[in-house]
Amino acid sequence: MTVLATLTAICYAQPKIGEQAPEIVLKGLNGKEYRLSDTRGKYVLVDFWASWCAPCRKSNRQLGPLYDLFHKKGFEIFGISLDEDINAWKKAIAADKINWVQTREDGGWNAPVAVAWNIEQLPTSFLLDRNGRVISIDPSAFEIEQVLRQGLK
Amino acid sequence: MKKIILSCLLLVMGTGLFAQFSRATLQASGLTCALCTKAINKSLEQLDFVSSVNADIKTSSFLIHFKPGAAVDIDALRNGVEDAGFSVAKLQLTGTFNAMAVAQDEHADYDGKTFHFLGVKKQVLNGEQVVTVVDKNFLPAKEFKKYSKTTSMSCVETGRMDNCCTKGGKANNSTRIYHLTL
Repeated sequence: MTVLATLTAICYAQPKIGEQAPEIVLKGLNGKEYRLSDTRGKYVLVDFWASWCAPCRKSNRQLGPLYDLFHKKGFEIFGISLDEDINAWKKAIAADKINWVQTREDGGWNAPVAVAWNIEQLPTSFLLDRNGRVISIDPSAFEIEQVLRQGLK
Repeated sequence: MKKIILSCLLLVMGTGLFAQFSRATLQASGLTCALCTKAINKSLEQLDFVSSVNADIKTSSFLIHFKPGAAVDIDALRNGVEDAGFSVAKLQLTGTFNAMAVAQDEHADYDGKTFHFLGVKKQVLNGEQVVTVVDKNFLPAKEFKKYSKTTSMSCVETGRMDNCCTKGGKANNSTRIYHLTL
């Protein structure tokens, strides 16, 4: 029993700082498949959110200007929504003017990707370096900007 | 013959299913965003009478669907929220009613339970209706006071049927009685 619990804990532990982010393959709005590994070489913010999460919506609006400023220099945001209602998700994307990679998976909190990354609350985000290693968990917009200013000179 | 028995059975089951709460809208409050934590979701989904829990942004509430035919334990919903470190700010239950008479400070039986109505006008409930639980710890203290003031019966404080609340001696003191408003 203990062994089983430990195994589960290992399988579903949140990636820690310094660790390699696990691969994510999910479909976007248009049905297009996105792979996290395709963003290698860029700084990436893996951003778990949902339309019904008020702090996430606030964060979306803060990320917009950062994305516009740094995207071309080598910054990507890999958004993952836990919305179960696809229309609510689409509406939020439009309302928050999200122009970065946006994916979703059925199951809400129990979506395989949310379980694999052990997401217990929203928003939860991971900032990855060019090699796909976690350099910060739940960074503020200010912190992301500091890292990008340093790394994408 | 078998068909007749089966349809009778279905009819009985059908009416049984009717007099029941089918879903609830629950608002939780705490120091952080209640919808944003998996904890409440997890503890509510564990309840055997709950079929699904979804977040509704419009009302900042959890939309909880109940399994048809399962006994809905209202206190268990509150316990689930409190176990997750939050408190219930509002709990509304949706059910289908069939000519159920309600009146201020009076009891009404529904789904095998006795409910005590507060802050309502005398009326007969029919069809799908929404009721709000006004027991202690199911709404902010200030609002609870507003409803508890409208009755002199002590069951509103304890949530248990007291001597004052027994009607025709059918209830014993320990029976849980929920207080509702419309």
